[in-house]
Amino acid sequence: MSQVDIKDRLTLPDQVNPTRGLIATGVVGLIASAIGYFLNHDQFFFSYLTSWVFYMSIALAALFFVMLQHVTRSSWSVVVRRIPETLSYNILPWAIFLIPVLFGMHTLYHWTHHSAVAHDPVLQGKTPWLNSTFFVVRQFIYFGIWGFLSYRLHKNSVKMDETGDWGLQTLLRRTSGPGIFIYAITVGFASIDWLMTLDPHWYSTIFAVYFFSMSIQAFFAVMILMVFYLQSKGVLQQTINRSHIYDLGILLFGFSIFYAYIAFCQYLLIYYANLPEETVWFHHRLEHGYQGIALALLIGRFLIPFLVLLPKKMKSIKNVVIPISILILAVHFFELSWLVMPLLKEHGYSINWMDVTTFLGLGGIFFGLFFNKFRKHKIIPENDPLLEQSVNKHL
Amino acid sequence: MSTTYEYVPKPALVKGDHDFGDITDMICETPLQKTPPLWYVAFGAANILLLVMLALIGYLFWEGTGVWGLNVPAGWGWAIVNFVWWVGIGHAGTLISAILFLFRQDWRTAINRFAEAMTIFAVMCAGVFPAIHVGRIWFIYWVFPIPNQMAMWPNFTSPLLWDVFAVSTYFTVSVLFWYVGLIPDFATLRDKATSKLQKITYGIFSLGWTGSFRDWWNYEKAYMILAGLATPLVLSVHTVVSFDFSVSLIPGWHSTIFPPYFVAGAIYSGFAMVLSLMIIARKIYGLEDIMNVDIMEKMNIVMMATGLLVAFAYLMEGWTAWYSGYIYEQAIFKLYVVGPYDWGFWILMFCNVVTPNFLWSKTVRRNVTLTFIISILVNIGMWFERFMIAVASLSTDFLPSSWDYYSPTWVDIWTYIGTFGLFFTFFLLFLRFFPMIAIAEVKAVMPQADPHYYEENGSNDHGKSGDNELKSNND
Repeated sequence: MSQVDIKDRLTLPDQVNPTRGLIATGVVGLIASAIGYFLNHDQFFFSYLTSWVFYMSIALAALFFVMLQHVTRSSWSVVVRRIPETLSYNILPWAIFLIPVLFGMHTLYHWTHHSAVAHDPVLQGKTPWLNSTFFVVRQFIYFGIWGFLSYRLHKNSVKMDETGDWGLQTLLRRTSGPGIFIYAITVGFASIDWLMTLDPHWYSTIFAVYFFSMSIQAFFAVMILMVFYLQSKGVLQQTINRSHIYDLGILLFGFSIFYAYIAFCQYLLIYYANLPEETVWFHHRLEHGYQGIALALLIGRFLIPFLVLLPKKMKSIKNVVIPISILILAVHFFELSWLVMPLLKEHGYSINWMDVTTFLGLGGIFFGLFFNKFRKHKIIPENDPLLEQSVNKHL
Repeated sequence: MSTTYEYVPKPALVKGDHDFGDITDMICETPLQKTPPLWYVAFGAANILLLVMLALIGYLFWEGTGVWGLNVPAGWGWAIVNFVWWVGIGHAGTLISAILFLFRQDWRTAINRFAEAMTIFAVMCAGVFPAIHVGRIWFIYWVFPIPNQMAMWPNFTSPLLWDVFAVSTYFTVSVLFWYVGLIPDFATLRDKATSKLQKITYGIFSLGWTGSFRDWWNYEKAYMILAGLATPLVLSVHTVVSFDFSVSLIPGWHSTIFPPYFVAGAIYSGFAMVLSLMIIARKIYGLEDIMNVDIMEKMNIVMMATGLLVAFAYLMEGWTAWYSGYIYEQAIFKLYVVGPYDWGFWILMFCNVVTPNFLWSKTVRRNVTLTFIISILVNIGMWFERFMIAVASLSTDFLPSSWDYYSPTWVDIWTYIGTFGLFFTFFLLFLRFFPMIAIAEVKAVMPQADPHYYEENGSNDHGKSGDNELKSNND
């Protein structure tokens, strides 16, 4: 019933069904991690938090991307929009996977130790914010808001497939406008809660923006890999053409620069002012093996993507953007480890097997849920008013 | 629920029933006609203010910076506030011309020329202040790394020096970008000019443009490259300006969010200024079909978005000041809210945080008068923001016994007012002699630019068609 002439089929073919395999990987990974919990529960919680934030950041950036497309009425992205819509639909189930983090709060967050706070006037001043009850309450608020936004944006977009009612575009746009504003505030404080308060003394006003810049870059890498994965299975091979890949490539390129800009600003200002209570954070992250990750961030998240993707042609070449995307996602994981792990292993970084099991376990569940939802609906918004423009877009 | 929402199609970018010829005539009319008397009145007024500025700068050079209101804790006063304010205003032009170009935002064509001109003149106004602020003006050349017999080099580790390079690079690229865009339009003016003087002058500046395929091919390439170069400059200039403050240890200055927050604030104030100027100009020059209400609404949305980003930065700063547990940071924020300059803080909060929220309403966004009022309020608010940062943070420093209240002198105030003379002198010259809208670019986003337009709409009507809706969905 699509009003636009589309040559590809609009549903996922039956043979493309990785859900089961992914969920199975996820369950195995999580069981292995659970065994790890009994062997070394400190390591388990820190690994789990790292992997959980990894997927959460992608789902959150996907939500931002969807809202941005609605607000700006972008036409190019319509053919790929169902992917981020479905990715952000994972936000609500991801709240359930936050529960282990909440159980591990005492291990993860130094500020939950009453004895430590009692002897620390700085932490005492922070107790109105840094207390377990309010921390949990905030998580409910965050997930309530994001869950509402992602659910509403997905539901009405799918509804437009069925009813063909273009008025829903207005509804989606009006949800997204205020949505982005509320999103900015909640994601800002959520990133501070999850990651910045691991070092309860340290603070940086740009931290929320820094987290966002990491997430959005990783998100575009996921988008590129997902599009090529689908196309390799014969899905949407004609509908998503080179111009759409090019747009994703240019956004990956642009947000690599944005990430570098934000990360560099944070580093430079702290380095330059040289205040001990601020520099100590970088100090822990630039020695005992962590300097290797820091260097990898500079090279893997900025220098290589920047130099390789700079020429116009490169941004749409499959064999270029796929390795770059994998590199960025790998470095994204190591950056999160770089933020989290110095708290556990101050005197030397080493990758633990639980990093791998939690990463694979949560990843299997995350993408399993994604494909489970993705295959239930049309894989492109077939009745979107801007679909025709999107399909007819060529380089 | 869905029944309550109506589908709103994308509006056409140019209103009214115009073909290419109408657009050329509308825009070329002003530069080619005789100077209207009203223009002389406005130009005269701007010139008087410019002379006031020049006279006061002369007075400053003669007497020294003591004629300003600077005192010991507040070593940076109005001059720096004005510098940051003007350079911030400049950002809108480059954002519109470069970043929106890369994002393929077609609506920018109605305002890009205008906004770029504003950028260039605003940066000129900004450039005045740090130069005259150095005290010993005869040593200003020390900011340049010129080999000298004293073997002295500028302090390359100082963001104040980075500013010199950042702003001058920005100015150079902005001028180049603006000029490259002007070349085809100067050629149009040359071809339409009736007097010999006009023909020769526009002829020289159009660099022998013929409108051939090769010309356009080179032009498009150059435009793209300059857009690519200008884009990082939009971010870098105000980032470096923010470093002037944030690399220091002064509470209220040392904050890691300053770079992106300054950039957002700059775009915010820049869009406000473009709106203020555009609303007047489109009325006077009868260009309401091109600089139409839809364009204004889009600009309002960008202004609101950047305004909310600024509000987000305030929230983060205020919250972190409390959360940091750092007593000086907490103290300065208390002094902002309840302190010697709290009046400035509340003006700032009202203009910058409350005002943009009116733009949530579509009615307000599309109301010319209200938009004009809001744009003026935003400009006031952004001036006070820099005032609070520069002056309020300095004058209540670490040691309460050294606190001193800063108040400007008449020289401060009139030098600032005088910069409007500088700005409007150039801006009026621009309005009088330049095509204030990018003729070729506006045509490119009209439905007639579609290669199949005449096949589908009949070849005899020369593009006279109101059926823009349908066509705009078909590029």
